[in-house]
Amino acid sequence: MWLPAVPLLLLIAVALVLPALSLVIGSVTEDGQLTLDGWVRVLTRRGDQTAILTSLALATVVATIATLVGTPVAWLLSRMLPVGRATWLALLTVGGNFGGIGLAFAYFAVLGTVGMVTLALQSLGVDFLPPRPSSFEGLVLVYLYTNVPLFVLLTMPAMGALRDEWWEAAQVASATRWQFWRRVGIPVLTPFIVAGWLLIFTWSIGIYGLAYALAGAGAATPTQLITLRIGVILKSDVTETWRANVLAVILMGIAIVSLVTYRAILRRGLRWVT
Amino acid sequence: MSAPPRRAGRIGSSLLFGLLAVYLLLPIIAVLLYSLATVWRARILPDAFTLDHYVRVFNDPRILGAFGRSFLLASIVTCIDILIVVPAAYWARIRNPRITPLLALGAAIPFALPYVVIAFGIDRLIGEFVPSIQNTLAVLIVAQAAIAFPFFYWAVDGSMAAAGIERLSEAAETCGARPRQIVRRIVFPAIRMGVVTGSVLVFAVSFGEFALAQVLVGSAFETLPLWQADAMLQTTGRFNDLAVTTVLSFVLLFLLAVVLVTWNRGQTVRLLPGATTQKEGRA
Repeated sequence: MWLPAVPLLLLIAVALVLPALSLVIGSVTEDGQLTLDGWVRVLTRRGDQTAILTSLALATVVATIATLVGTPVAWLLSRMLPVGRATWLALLTVGGNFGGIGLAFAYFAVLGTVGMVTLALQSLGVDFLPPRPSSFEGLVLVYLYTNVPLFVLLTMPAMGALRDEWWEAAQVASATRWQFWRRVGIPVLTPFIVAGWLLIFTWSIGIYGLAYALAGAGAATPTQLITLRIGVILKSDVTETWRANVLAVILMGIAIVSLVTYRAILRRGLRWVT
Repeated sequence: MSAPPRRAGRIGSSLLFGLLAVYLLLPIIAVLLYSLATVWRARILPDAFTLDHYVRVFNDPRILGAFGRSFLLASIVTCIDILIVVPAAYWARIRNPRITPLLALGAAIPFALPYVVIAFGIDRLIGEFVPSIQNTLAVLIVAQAAIAFPFFYWAVDGSMAAAGIERLSEAAETCGARPRQIVRRIVFPAIRMGVVTGSVLVFAVSFGEFALAQVLVGSAFETLPLWQADAMLQTTGRFNDLAVTTVLSFVLLFLLAVVLVTWNRGQTVRLLPGATTQKEGRA
């Protein structure tokens, strides 16, 4: 019997599955005819190429920095006393959920032309020009604000996979700290860290509201991103909808590939947990 | 690790956490100061402080309306998710396990696909088949309920697993409890924490959501994020008003986070989604 689950399954079908299918179909048809014309035109156009490459580069940089900073933090937190950990978790939860337009504004308040840090440095006599909010560096800085906490929150539970007894066993066998990490610690944790990287990558590439608010504010040439192009076309240019359609399917493709990889990697990592 | 940390390691980790704290707190402090500043142009700190901006925001019908609409929208979306996800998750566990993979797959969609893509897809689908409901609030509610449901599903399903809901229900049935009794006396108390956690996450997602709101309804139903984005694009300084609304939504978010962490006694809410922990008996 399926009845109690029918409303939710309907919701999934109508609001998630069918729209995705509609986009896929729309990207390969024109007036009911099957064609790859849209794909060719998007992939050969300079502006769209730039947007795709920039989105990929941005997500790669953000995910990599989040991993490099987040891994040691997650590890240390997982070994912290519960009292201190609860405080940090609250702070990280706030950071990880503080996204969207509010965060975009926070950037201006900190690093805008009259932002707090900008004013502080300038009043100290430092000749400081903050990165423009719509520049690549600006976007990286803001994206990290949510993504470092998210990375920590996601991977911290997995740090428990590395058991204290193993370190004790390694010590009994007179292994050095470095040997322990190289032979045991890093191999066990790597799948979770890679999985975390993939999630941050996937989420970063799909961020829209934050980028919209940053890119729109006072920039002649904002950084081109796939999501921003989709948004601009939907808002203002009905004749170009097919272009947004192809770009949306490209985003879907990237997301599906990383999610499938994510699951495969996670399955490997979980061998040690159970 | 049980080994005493080396001094270099200790200094390194203090430095790391110190920088992290600064990075996480600085924007919050800056926004808070901006919401209270009179003039802040040339010095490290504002020239003077005032509550004028708060008074102005609380008397601005457009901002108040946006705040109210966001609150209403998030409440409705949360209620819908509670009503439709709990029965589905429960049924999948106790009666029909074939539902589980469908729910897991459905939950993966908004988790992986950008909201702007989902919004575009929904808009396209509606435009093609039922253009009469395009740009209505109902569409936005349904769409937000769909993108937020995974957070709720994971939380509730996790708490069902932790409580061993299958065995509890079975035991209650063997004792001759009626279905309604089982749900009221056994199921709800057992999964209460999951429901609270899930509701908070759904509310937060819906409250701050921008892409769906912009694409599906736009200015016809101006939510707080829509107002904020609009105010940011205008060059005339609504800087202080933006600061006030950011602080207010921040306070709301913070209260929700405090509720969450205290209810979970310092445990993290999220796990790498898709992973099952040792605690869950059925892995």
